[in-house]
Amino acid sequence: MIRAFSPFLAVRYLLTRRINILGVLGVAFAVWAMLVVDGVFTGFVRDIRGSVESSAPPLLLTDLPHDSSFAKLSDAMAADPDVAVMAPRLRQVAMLQPIRQDQRARAKRGSNQLDFDHTKNGYAMLIGIDPLLEPQVVSVPAWIQRGVKEIARYGRFQTPSVVFEEPDEERRAELLLPDRVEWAMRRRAGMPHDLDVNNHRSSLPGILMGWRRVFNMQHIEDGDPIEVVCASFPGSEGSGGAGSMRTTQKPFASAGWFGSGNRMFDEATALVPIESLRTMLGHDIDDLASIPLVTDVAIRPRDGLTATQLTALQRRLEQKVQAALPAGSEQCSVLTWQEQNSVYLKAVAQEHAMMQLVLMIVMLVSAFVIYATLHMMVVQKIKDIGILAAVGGSPRGIGSVFLINGTVVGVCGSLLGVAAGISSALWINPINDWLYANYQMELFPRDTFDLEGIPCHLEPSWVAAVAVGAIVLSVIVAFIPARKAARMNPVTALAFE
Amino acid sequence: MSTILRAAGITKNYAIGKREIPVLRGVDLSIEAGEKVALLGTSGAGKSTLLHLLGLLDAPTSGSIEYDGREVHSLSVGERARLRHQQVGFVFQFYHLIPELTALQNVSLAQMMNSSVFQYWGKRKQAKATAVEMLEHVGLGERLHHRPTELSGGERQRVAIARALIAAPKIVLADEPTGNLDSATAKDVVDLMFTIQKERQLAFLLVTHDEGLASRCDRIIRMKDGRVVDQERVNNELAD
Repeated sequence: MIRAFSPFLAVRYLLTRRINILGVLGVAFAVWAMLVVDGVFTGFVRDIRGSVESSAPPLLLTDLPHDSSFAKLSDAMAADPDVAVMAPRLRQVAMLQPIRQDQRARAKRGSNQLDFDHTKNGYAMLIGIDPLLEPQVVSVPAWIQRGVKEIARYGRFQTPSVVFEEPDEERRAELLLPDRVEWAMRRRAGMPHDLDVNNHRSSLPGILMGWRRVFNMQHIEDGDPIEVVCASFPGSEGSGGAGSMRTTQKPFASAGWFGSGNRMFDEATALVPIESLRTMLGHDIDDLASIPLVTDVAIRPRDGLTATQLTALQRRLEQKVQAALPAGSEQCSVLTWQEQNSVYLKAVAQEHAMMQLVLMIVMLVSAFVIYATLHMMVVQKIKDIGILAAVGGSPRGIGSVFLINGTVVGVCGSLLGVAAGISSALWINPINDWLYANYQMELFPRDTFDLEGIPCHLEPSWVAAVAVGAIVLSVIVAFIPARKAARMNPVTALAFE
Repeated sequence: MSTILRAAGITKNYAIGKREIPVLRGVDLSIEAGEKVALLGTSGAGKSTLLHLLGLLDAPTSGSIEYDGREVHSLSVGERARLRHQQVGFVFQFYHLIPELTALQNVSLAQMMNSSVFQYWGKRKQAKATAVEMLEHVGLGERLHHRPTELSGGERQRVAIARALIAAPKIVLADEPTGNLDSATAKDVVDLMFTIQKERQLAFLLVTHDEGLASRCDRIIRMKDGRVVDQERVNNELAD
């Protein structure tokens, strides 16, 4: 039973002792920091995971031997009822070089030679895709829309690529640009072209580049020719025995750009038709000895699979594919989108955990502030403790004065912190914009992670946990000085000067 | 008259380092209901220590204390607090008011000691009226909402007296209640205490150095070196 004098005196102390404001502000700051920082980090992690997920197929068959044929692999997997779509992929390191020679490019850049020392320009991870199948596994049209949106943030306005909207499947399979676009490009670049645009038929396979590469190229328009150079070892691809390195060169036509939201992917990757890349690697479709070469297979499983069923499908496909591979081949893998990016996602999750740990320490510091203020108050109020005892206050009632005081400090601080935290979360982007406009300060490096705004996501459960945690911690730390007050000898307290 | 408080063979030792210092060396006394007793002695005689033991603020090293024939020295800390609230009112030399509270709140605080929040809420108006009445009785009807720092020494001691009496104790233990007041104010305060004592038939135990004040009591107990060395009954008619 709480004696009436305990809350009465606790409230009087709260209202008259300014030191309590310090405790309230300490808790409020800790709660605010925990909500805002974790809210931003949670939002960031959600965005990052969303971006990574959108840049990766749901399942990816990888770790295949160098001379793997898509025909054999698809035969091995097609019978599985949980596989909806399979799209072949061929990864190949390459170098890119625009071959446009117009005056504008030279004037801006001084030279259109690219800086091959840095990945943002000359180096590329080519992914050969089947333009008819790939959009059924990953949302390539959504990437194209996002690419336009991303680059528009930097003041460059372009229309989205239309190569995936080409009704003719043969032309779409080659990512061919509309005839007029390619004809205009050839004329600009001084490449051979028909005098009559109506007689021209597009022939250069298209190349889609991540928007960050296109952004760094300064001047690139639809149809601009891009020279692609690949190096390969013919012997390692099934033509029998090791051979010397062979380089192949092939012009492609810039067919637009994409933005998956995954910065590294958007910087380094370029998508090309898989047949064109196979041809560059010596597997021309017209060559009877060639195979439909793949390094990976992007897989979309049947909708509605549970996590357990998905895992079972992964193991099943690995077994089926392994059985179809030549004996002695290394173990192939079927990876989910999380497993494909496990290092990155683990690093982000680790950072999140570290951030939460730091925030816990902030909370402990604020708890220490409450402890210090209450302890100071107990010391200042020793005589009052003696008076209360003399008037008939029980030790428990006297301790309750300080316990209630600490609890009210915790509750007020917690509520204030929650209000400030939610407000900050709601207004973080306007605040950031204002700071940038007035002081060139940014609260969060949005560009580093290709974020449109500062992502902030407050989980109601986290808000509740932080608020309740702050109050509980306040009660715990208030208990120590409260116990000291309750145990104080009244005679000693009355004699205290 | 019935004996309200009885102490027998009270000793109290304090430890200073490894040494034990005896402060009380076997004190016997009893106080009747409605009796005024003065406790005289030099500094260090053990008067205040005895007062604290009799007021159940501290426990004796040995000996027994009885209130209304009930042994109380071995009660738990919580039970002693409850009994202190019901039986004992304290008045101190330095008033010991809580500075954050007004005169009315200081007096009301004593009414809250044995009530739960809900119990007190139910009787708050009546409790306030009683506290106001008590303060008016001690002449502070106009100073209800003043804090201790806004009151004179005499007024503070009146608030302390009102606080000591609000719970209707059977005995008031006063530790040099006029020791911090000028002689005129001291006389007023003593007159007030004795008037109320007479009205309510309270037992009073006053610790004092003032022979004049002691002579106004019914009985004088003299202490020296932790022992009662003399007791004398005063002619009440002469004293009054």
